[in-house]
Amino acid sequence: MKRPQRYWEDVQVGEELPGFSLEINTRRIFLQISGTQDWYPLHFDSQFARRAGHPDLFMNTGFIQGALVRVITDWMGDEGFLKKLYFEMRRQQRPGDVMVCKGRVVDKYVRDGQHYVECEVWAENEREGITTPGRAWIILPTRGP
Amino acid sequence: MTQGYDIEEVRRRYIGMETAESWGRYPVEHDPIRRHCHMVEDTNPLFLDPEYAKKTKYGAVICPPSGWLAIYFASLGPWPPVFEPLVPIVPAPGKRIINLSQEVEWFQVIRVGDRLSIKRRIADVFQRPISIDPEAVWVVSELIIGNQNGELVCVVRNTLLFHRTPEEVAAEKERRGEP
Repeated sequence: MKRPQRYWEDVQVGEELPGFSLEINTRRIFLQISGTQDWYPLHFDSQFARRAGHPDLFMNTGFIQGALVRVITDWMGDEGFLKKLYFEMRRQQRPGDVMVCKGRVVDKYVRDGQHYVECEVWAENEREGITTPGRAWIILPTRGP
Repeated sequence: MTQGYDIEEVRRRYIGMETAESWGRYPVEHDPIRRHCHMVEDTNPLFLDPEYAKKTKYGAVICPPSGWLAIYFASLGPWPPVFEPLVPIVPAPGKRIINLSQEVEWFQVIRVGDRLSIKRRIADVFQRPISIDPEAVWVVSELIIGNQNGELVCVVRNTLLFHRTPEEVAAEKERRGEP
């Protein structure tokens, strides 16, 4: 069954990208290593992280990026194209957190013949608020010829 | 200043330094994409289901547009171990590394079966204090990823922070006779 498609004309500035939440637990930490193949101990070994001056291990860039990308690709549909994604790893997602990832449309415009939608995307948790602010530039198809 | 470390000399020597293009060990494969999707519970059939993907405009399963996955497929992977630094090695007082921000600009999708190449370039190096290390070094790198058709696939810009542990900072202070 074909997935729902977003078209540029139908997008409203201020519209939310629904997103999702993920529990940061031991299973998720293993999935992170499996899914990113990042074996730097800062992301699975609490003692190593504490020796490096951090309060605990924290989830890696590949994991956070994968989650932000999912917020966008779930929303934009198969014909959308993520042109650019920028994000900052300002605070950490640690064991015990529930990471919530969301987005919001902040602008839409036509540039070089392409129909762009610009969105804020972010990861947050209850402990620290927004941990990873980001911005996405998405090219969407149009309904017209 | 850490003994013998000269940030201006490091900037002169390393900014603009570029590695030769190298190619990923394997073609883009289904299973690493599946594992990447599993970690964030992504069930998008465009990334997972060859029958579904065949009927889309791409004609094949594509990668989620994650710079991380692009780098993975353009690199050698963690096993068997081959020393492959993320960026040309920039000297810094600290050896602990944190990735602070990333920007990924896309030009092509990545399909299963593609071969990817990578070139690494140092765009900037500077020193700025952080709470646990007053002499932390920041490195801005660019990873330029291409495919078997000679097309530019994406450019990944990372800001990496190199810092010392609190013990290393304390030891350096003691060496200098600082309180």
